[in-house]
Amino acid sequence: MLEFEKITVSLGGVRILRDVSFRIAQSDTIALIGANGAGKTTTLRTVMGHVKSTGDIRFDGKLLSDVPPAKRSGLGIGYAPEDRKLFSAFTVEENILLPGKVARYSASEMARALARVYEILPELKEMAGRPAGSVSGGQGKMVALGRALMVGKRLLMLDEPFQGLAAALARRYAEALRDLRDRDPEVTLIITESNPSLLERFTDTALVIERGEISERALKVKPVEA
Amino acid sequence: MNAQILALALFDGLSYAALVFMVAVGLTLIFGVLRVLNVAHGSFFAMGAYTTASVGSAIFAAGFAPWLAFPLMAVSAILIGVLVGGTVEKLLLSRIYEMEDVLQILVTFAVFMMLEDVQRLIWGVQPLFESTAVNLLGTIEVFGIVYTKYQLLFLPAVAASVLILLRLGLRHTLTGHLILAVTEDREAAISIGIDAQKVYLVTFIVGASLAAFGGALASATTSVIPGMGADMIVLSFAVVATAGFGQIEGAAIAAVLIGLGRSFAVYFYPELEVLMPYLIMFVVLLIRPNGLFAPVEARKI
Repeated sequence: MLEFEKITVSLGGVRILRDVSFRIAQSDTIALIGANGAGKTTTLRTVMGHVKSTGDIRFDGKLLSDVPPAKRSGLGIGYAPEDRKLFSAFTVEENILLPGKVARYSASEMARALARVYEILPELKEMAGRPAGSVSGGQGKMVALGRALMVGKRLLMLDEPFQGLAAALARRYAEALRDLRDRDPEVTLIITESNPSLLERFTDTALVIERGEISERALKVKPVEA
Repeated sequence: MNAQILALALFDGLSYAALVFMVAVGLTLIFGVLRVLNVAHGSFFAMGAYTTASVGSAIFAAGFAPWLAFPLMAVSAILIGVLVGGTVEKLLLSRIYEMEDVLQILVTFAVFMMLEDVQRLIWGVQPLFESTAVNLLGTIEVFGIVYTKYQLLFLPAVAASVLILLRLGLRHTLTGHLILAVTEDREAAISIGIDAQKVYLVTFIVGASLAAFGGALASATTSVIPGMGADMIVLSFAVVATAGFGQIEGAAIAAVLIGLGRSFAVYFYPELEVLMPYLIMFVVLLIRPNGLFAPVEARKI
């Protein structure tokens, strides 16, 4: 469902991705593994159209270069950036609802999408009315996941979701992801992480990115029963 | 006698502050969202004034009802904001957002220079004066001073309404939410489907219309002359810098501060009139380099 073909990205004269090619099938859960600075975030930002790239990216067979960045979430791509990037001018719930409002969901669509988010992440309901600027870093990651879930019906891209998360929260986050997996088996998940052992519990496929090059399905992490 | 002068300075200062606020708030809104310091903003102010004064003169000479002066101001402002502001953003600014700040300022400065000449081309260099709106509202006597209701009541009321509407609009409409989201984080906003380019265009048109509306309001109280845009842009820079860039309520308070400072200077130390706004800005920036109301920036590391 997502194909990179010879993607090269340079930022400020430095080549971040070189000739990267890979394919991800629908319903896959992919761990994008690599050290800091290897190009994980750039890979996700390239999908969202935030960086200029050469080469072809196809999403559901469609060339993404034909889709302006602001229209890509409309294809069903939800993206939770590493630094959460919540809008502090709004409450937690307003943050979650905003993608739906932008996509002009009908009232019933909106209610259904919000209910789904709250079922997967019930803790968000408790902080719904809080200003987004006041939640902790870990809670913020949950909110960012909730916001990405509003539109991410085909593909969810989570950038280092476990980074800086306290152990209990990390367990909750992983649980929510497994819950999502069970609920929507057709959703494709891409999770970046510098520490692959964190992802072993719920993914069996990893792409390893090293100095801007991806070794295709290089690592087959052993599936571990949850 | 002394109390009268004090009152006079106060009233003058407030009505002047109202006009400066209209221009400064548009400037600060545009900067907050687009991160572009728009020097051409002064031209929108001048063109709003010219349009209102020239169209007003023509229609009132033709015998139209004097109350049309008020809707005319709003129509002129929107017209200038959409046609001139929209064109500038679409044709020029939208191409240079990724470039250096200095280049962006130079481009808006170039636009300002071109629009100055466009004004001379259309309206010539003769002063225009059209005060139907002021005459229509009449005068009011306060502390033995006869003052025009237009300046004493109407201008501050309009400025306060604009401030409230702007805040409500940002907080409670979808367009407002999109503007706030793009202001805070453009990339995150695009990621959730917000068309940032459209938000930029709308914001620029709103900001330009506010400046033109300021000009339209000013045209009833003063002669419309070449160069009025330059005076206004310099003054509203001072207001915006004093308040902190991107601060809407801050711009209102800084406009009052600078408006009052200037008018008190006019009455008590006339030689300081021109200097006063910059003196206030200078003192404020010495103590708070990011402006009075700029939030404390969270450091990334």
